[in-house]
Amino acid sequence: MDIHTLLGSLEGSGLATRIRDSLFIFPLLESIHVIGLTLVFGTILILDLRLLGVASTGRSVQRIASEILTWTWAAFAVTAGTGVLMFITNAAVYYDNVFFRAKAALLVLAGVNMVAFEFTGRRTMHTWDRARSAPPAARAAAVLSLIIWVAVIVAGRMIGFTTSRAAGVTPPPADVNFEDLFGAPADSGNAPAAPSPGK
Amino acid sequence: MKQFADWLSTTSPSVFIQEHNTWAIPAIQSIHIVGIALVMGSVLMIDLRILGWAGADQTLRQTTSRFGPWLTGSLWLMLATGILMVIGEPVRELITFSFWLKMTLVAIGTLVAVMFQRMLRRHERQWEETLVHRSSIKALAIGTFLVWAFIIVLGRLIAYDHIWGSWSPAVTQ
Repeated sequence: MDIHTLLGSLEGSGLATRIRDSLFIFPLLESIHVIGLTLVFGTILILDLRLLGVASTGRSVQRIASEILTWTWAAFAVTAGTGVLMFITNAAVYYDNVFFRAKAALLVLAGVNMVAFEFTGRRTMHTWDRARSAPPAARAAAVLSLIIWVAVIVAGRMIGFTTSRAAGVTPPPADVNFEDLFGAPADSGNAPAAPSPGK
Repeated sequence: MKQFADWLSTTSPSVFIQEHNTWAIPAIQSIHIVGIALVMGSVLMIDLRILGWAGADQTLRQTTSRFGPWLTGSLWLMLATGILMVIGEPVRELITFSFWLKMTLVAIGTLVAVMFQRMLRRHERQWEETLVHRSSIKALAIGTFLVWAFIIVLGRLIAYDHIWGSWSPAVTQ
């Protein structure tokens, strides 16, 4: 199937329409996405800084990893889920957005970096588990991880700034009474524009 | 407040940020997000220790001295980048309901964090031996985490203040 057909059917789905029709759902998805990503980045940071010998050096790497990675993955699932839901509301615009593509590529890189760590540093972890800082391969993975995740955050924020402009969203006229919008029926005739991420 | 916001937007630091808004605003916001990630990571680990779900081999005091300085440092980073965002877009930030509710919760969250660290230092044994096991303290740990999560929600809602309807000064003005 052609990718644009797929994107179109995602946008046209009942779920995507439901999100677009609501004033609240998109902002709440964004909020939960941010809560999720702060927990992903916040917990990964603890492990990366430990590998680099910057923080928590009195604690074994294995112990820190087993303590936090469950939370990291749970938060990642929440972040990815809300990300998908936001994506389907305006799939074609996001798909064409350069920052969206950069973010997708960076997430793949983060995955590759993680797998590379599994096959290099992690293999010998029992020998340096309690050492102040990890061997070069593991330290390199930690530095890469920090750079990639910060870049993911920057790219994510840039998507919000570039897609709302690309979508040509104009601010509502001054005489619009927002109170009316709450009660407006979904099929009031004027098709709601795709929600644009708030800047 | 509107007058103050209008005046602030004519000052030279504000004009500088406005003139470079294509990179300055997203850059400041990204640093602000990195800061809140540090806050959330630190709060999560301290709360998990209080709940007994992680780090049980370390004392409460050891756990807070591990994460406390990161929490304090990132709160200063958030304050600095937050002030820059207000200077850069005074009307967008100050003339909203979300912003002021957020500031109230930030004050509460910070106060709880400061009080907790102080009381822990003063009554260390009592905290380690009895208080940490109390369900009211565990509830407070969960409550604090939820406050910080709601602060994130409100931060995002500054961009959507109209959802508050007539509570939003941006709507009623």
